[in-house]
Amino acid sequence: MKDGRFLTLGIETSCDETAASVVADGRFVMSNVISSQIDIHTAYGGVVPEIASRKHLERINDVIGKALEDAEVSPKEIDLIGVTYGPGLVGALLIGVAAAKAMAYACDIPLVGVNHMHGHIAANYLEHNELEPPFMALIVSGGHTEIVNVPDYNKCEKLGGTRDDAAGEAFDKVARVIGLGYPGGPKIDKAAKEGDPDSIAFKRVYLEQGSLDFSFSGLKTQALNYLNQERQAGREINVNNVAASFQEAVVEVIADKAVMAAERYGQKRIVMAGGVASNSRLRALMEEKAGSRGIDVLKPSPVLCTDNGAMIASAAYYAYRSGVKPDLELDAVPGLEF
Amino acid sequence: MKESGLRNSCKDMKILAIETTGKYGSASVIDETGLIYSAASSEEMNHLRGMITLIDAALRAAGITKNELTHVAASVGPGSFTGIRIGVTTARIMSQMLNVPCIAVSTLEAMATGALDKAISSGALYVVPVINARRHQTYAGVYEAVFTSDYEHQSAVPVMEEKQYMIEDLLEELKCKTAEYSGAAAFFTGDGIDAYGDIIKSTMSEGSYLFADEELRYQHAESVAKIALRKAVRGETLSYNELMPEYMRLAEAEQRLRAGTLSDRIRFPAK
Repeated sequence: MKDGRFLTLGIETSCDETAASVVADGRFVMSNVISSQIDIHTAYGGVVPEIASRKHLERINDVIGKALEDAEVSPKEIDLIGVTYGPGLVGALLIGVAAAKAMAYACDIPLVGVNHMHGHIAANYLEHNELEPPFMALIVSGGHTEIVNVPDYNKCEKLGGTRDDAAGEAFDKVARVIGLGYPGGPKIDKAAKEGDPDSIAFKRVYLEQGSLDFSFSGLKTQALNYLNQERQAGREINVNNVAASFQEAVVEVIADKAVMAAERYGQKRIVMAGGVASNSRLRALMEEKAGSRGIDVLKPSPVLCTDNGAMIASAAYYAYRSGVKPDLELDAVPGLEF
Repeated sequence: MKESGLRNSCKDMKILAIETTGKYGSASVIDETGLIYSAASSEEMNHLRGMITLIDAALRAAGITKNELTHVAASVGPGSFTGIRIGVTTARIMSQMLNVPCIAVSTLEAMATGALDKAISSGALYVVPVINARRHQTYAGVYEAVFTSDYEHQSAVPVMEEKQYMIEDLLEELKCKTAEYSGAAAFFTGDGIDAYGDIIKSTMSEGSYLFADEELRYQHAESVAKIALRKAVRGETLSYNELMPEYMRLAEAEQRLRAGTLSDRIRFPAK
């Protein structure tokens, strides 16, 4: 406690960001330290799990130290530690979990494990202080494309998800093939702004009538075939047009289904979460489609869309408040479900 | 460290030692007199889940609280990459939060130390800890039992470098060593026995090798604690950021990147 406020330290190491943050009363970000490994993994064209694990270990102490320092608090003033225990890369997760447990034990602080996906949703509590459940959540990231009904702080009902590639994964693959490189999402977003989204007719995959699931692998194959065909015919490829058309095909389906889900469950708000939630075209299209049906769209600022410790702290705060028991035998669960 | 500080800390030491590089996790507490209290897991690869429980049990057995610890030591490898990281991360964070220094202990040296008494009583000259690194690879070292300057104790002194060996190469070098003295035997320890026992038997000549019994074959924090105490007395301590894993091997992707053989099949074929 400090100045009457309940302080939670959130720790996140599920993929390639080593992150820690101090959040007051589950809502107010006092510090948010993110040490990204993107520069290291770029040389490999994607995240290498063993290297990610090694880097997390080297950086975790200083990231936690800086989060405390930036918030101007001592470990003794921390009331709760929250740590991502899944889903994610197992070797990466276990650095955060081992660190969180060691600190919880050394400083006598209760520890709760947080589902990374719940964390992404909770990022919205930090951005929009008045937001409370119920609402519909749309999570779009490198590993996830999911529509989740959130009736309460600690209830998440997954209504639909991808059957093959996540949206971010499809962005990464196509970006690599058209020479934009890694990470694909932001690069496609940028290139698409200079391109024509109607120039190439990529298919929109809606699956069965009424389904809230996604499939992006067919679209990805179509994009690869298109590029092959153009190159073989000796035609020059307009990278911006490919990026714009491909992006449009992905985000249009996502936006349509998110709005469909909100309407079906009578939710008046859709909150966006995950790295791809900062895609500018997805944001614009969501506002357009939801707005026309009287549904509000809330989204976190880009820094809270990427993996961070603040969202984990917020989710941990609400889990702890609702009675989740502290656990020093916490294990990493790479395939953790919602 | 200032001399006065060193002498002061020698007087009253409580060192926590953590071992998570092998199949079974363990934690020990050693004091300045060499008294050791330990807790070990009987569950395989339960390091992450069980570590704090083990540490707490060792501290309770020693009758002290974590705030009385003066050092935190970890077995830093080689061994299971994941296991190494759990132990080293735990030690680094405890060191940072309790504001005490770290001590790095080589896993192979700890294994040699753990097998030393039995090796000497069996009449062996060399102690050979061998960790299975799969596909005929090992992490290994060769130690000789040598009396300390006070002639009271014996310690394991390295006579062959700790590194990655193909089991066949290790045994060839070792055969040359044991041939230097007639009747010199090598005492093997570690899970390398489980993996390569048959190769060792068929390569080494009769009577030139011995195997550690299963109960002292695997890594244990007690040996880590013994070495840590010696290092603490000598002032060989580290800050938490200096406590680093000893993987003895680059990540596979990094090996390939350096060799220029990183797969790029996902990339569009160049025209």
